[in-house]
Amino acid sequence: MRALVTGGSAGLGQALCDALLADGFQVVNLDCDPPKVISEAGYLYCDLSSREDVDKALDALTAQAGFDLVIFNAGISATGKFEDISTASHARIIAVNAEAPMVLCAALMKFGKINHGGNIGFVSSLSHFTGYPGAASYAASKDALAVYARAVRKTWQRKFNIKVTAIFPGPLKTDHAARHSPEGADAEKRMTPDEAALLILRDIKKGRAHSILGGAAKKLLFWGKLRLNR
Amino acid sequence: MRRKILITGGSSGIGLALANRLSIHHDVMVTGSRPQTDITEPFSSDLIYVQASQSEPETAVKTIAEALLKAGWVKLDNVVLNAGTGFAVKDAIDDIGRLRETMDINLTATILLSRTLYPWLAKAGGTLSIVGSVAHKGQALFPAYAASKGALNAFARALRSEWQSRVAVQILHLGPTRTDMHAKAGHDPGRLRSIFMRPSSMAAMMEFAMASKRSPLTLSFRRYASAGSRLGRNL
Ligand SMILES: NC(=O)c1ccc[n+]([C@@H]2O[C@H](COP(=O)([O-])OP(=O)(O)OC[C@H]3O[C@@H](n4cnc5c(N)ncnc54)[C@H](OP(=O)(O)O)[C@@H]3O)[C@@H](O)[C@H]2O)c1
Repeated sequence: MRALVTGGSAGLGQALCDALLADGFQVVNLDCDPPKVISEAGYLYCDLSSREDVDKALDALTAQAGFDLVIFNAGISATGKFEDISTASHARIIAVNAEAPMVLCAALMKFGKINHGGNIGFVSSLSHFTGYPGAASYAASKDALAVYARAVRKTWQRKFNIKVTAIFPGPLKTDHAARHSPEGADAEKRMTPDEAALLILRDIKKGRAHSILGGAAKKLLFWGKLRLNR
Repeated sequence: MRRKILITGGSSGIGLALANRLSIHHDVMVTGSRPQTDITEPFSSDLIYVQASQSEPETAVKTIAEALLKAGWVKLDNVVLNAGTGFAVKDAIDDIGRLRETMDINLTATILLSRTLYPWLAKAGGTLSIVGSVAHKGQALFPAYAASKGALNAFARALRSEWQSRVAVQILHLGPTRTDMHAKAGHDPGRLRSIFMRPSSMAAMMEFAMASKRSPLTLSFRRYASAGSRLGRNL
C-alpha cells in the first residue's frame, strides 16, 4: 500500500506520515523543507507556491506506481490586518493551500495515479464552520478545499470507488499554531498532532465525508452537521 | 448623490448590465480582459473601460489602481468584484491549466483587488460586493469553479467581520442567468436556459442587494419573483 502526504516534514503532516508508516504503508512526503527528524518516508521536494515546482513534482509522481491513500495537508498562513498583508503573501496562501492541492489531485486522477478503492483527504480548517476574522485569505483557501472535496466526492466514489474526506482540524499543538494563534490561546487543551493523525486516518479509511476534530470542535459538531446537511 | 463605482467583468453579461443600469445616476468604471473594441453587447457611452486581465492578478490590480488615479478618482462608494470564469468538466476532473486560470481570475485577483482598493473604499465608507454563485457549496460539473466561489464565500465572511463598519463587505450568490458564461464554460443548459434570469433583472436585484449591504445574499429567480428587486430601493 502506498501513501502520499503533502507537508509531511513537520507538525500534523509528520504525524500522518509516522502513523501511515506504522500502519505498513510505503509513504512519500512532498514538502519544501526536508523532514525535521529522520523518517522512513521517501522525500520529494516541492515548493507548492511555484507552478513550475508543482509540475515537476507531478512528473515525478506520475512516473511512479499509483497511490492508495493521499492526504493534502500542507498549508501556510499569514496574520495581521488584511490590508497590511502584501498582495504577494495573499497570492501565496491561495497558491499553496488551495490551488496546489486541487492541481495535484486533479492531475493524479487524470493519470489514474490514485488507485481504485483508494482514499483522498483534504485538510481544510474548522474555520469552515466558525469563520475566521483576521485571516480572510486563509479562510478562503481552506473553504476552497472543503467545497472541492464535496464537489468531487459522489462522482469519484461512483465512477472510481475512490472516497474523498474533508478534514476539519481545530487548533493543534504545532509550531504553525503557536506562531499564528492569538496570544493566551489555551494550548493545553489542544490535541497533539499524533492524536489528530490517528483520528483523521480512521475517518479517511472509513471513507467518511467529513473528519471533524479538536477539543472545541466536539461542541461545534452538532451545529457543523446542521450546516453540512443544508 | 452621484457615486463612484468600479465593476470588474463589465465587458459582458451581468457586470455590463449592472454597469449600464448604474451609469444613469453614477460614475462607473468597468474592467474586462478583452479590448474595448471586442465588446459586443450594448455599452453605455458614460462608462469608463479598463482592459485588465485577471489571469495575471498582480498586473491586473496595478492596471486598475493606475486607471483610478488617472481618472482622478480618490474614493470608491461601491466596488463589485464580478469578473469570473468556469469550465464544465467530465468525471469531476478539472483540466490543470483551466483550474489555475479559474483560481487566478475568480479568487486570487478578487482577494488582491479587495486589498489594494481598501484605501479608496475606506475613504468613502463604501461597500465591497463580491459575486459568488449558488454553486458555492460544491458541484461535480465544475469542481474548481465551485471551490473558487466557496472560497469567496468564506473570504467575504471573514473580511466582513474584520472591516466591520469601515467598509461593508458582502457576498451575492447569483442563480442561473442568461449570459455567455454557460457557452464559454462548455456547458449547454438546454431548455433550462429559458428559466434563467435576464441579466437586466439580475442587475436590478444586485442594486437592491448592494443598497441593503446585507450578506450573504442569494439572488435567484425565486427571490426575484417574490419581489426582492421591486421594492424600489436604489443606491
Ligand atoms: N450566468 C450565470 O448563470 C451565473 C450564475 C452564478 C454566478 N455567476 C457569476 O456572475 C459573474 C458574471 O458572469 P456572467 O454570467 O455575466 O458571464 P460573462 O458574460 O461571461 O461575463 C464574465 C465577465 O468576467 C470577465 N472576465 C472573464 N475572465 C476575465 C479575465 N481573465 N480578466 C478580466 N475579466 C475577466 C469577462 O470579461 P472578458 O470576457 O472581457 O474577459 C466578462 O466581463 C461571474 O463571476 C459568474 O461566476 C453567473
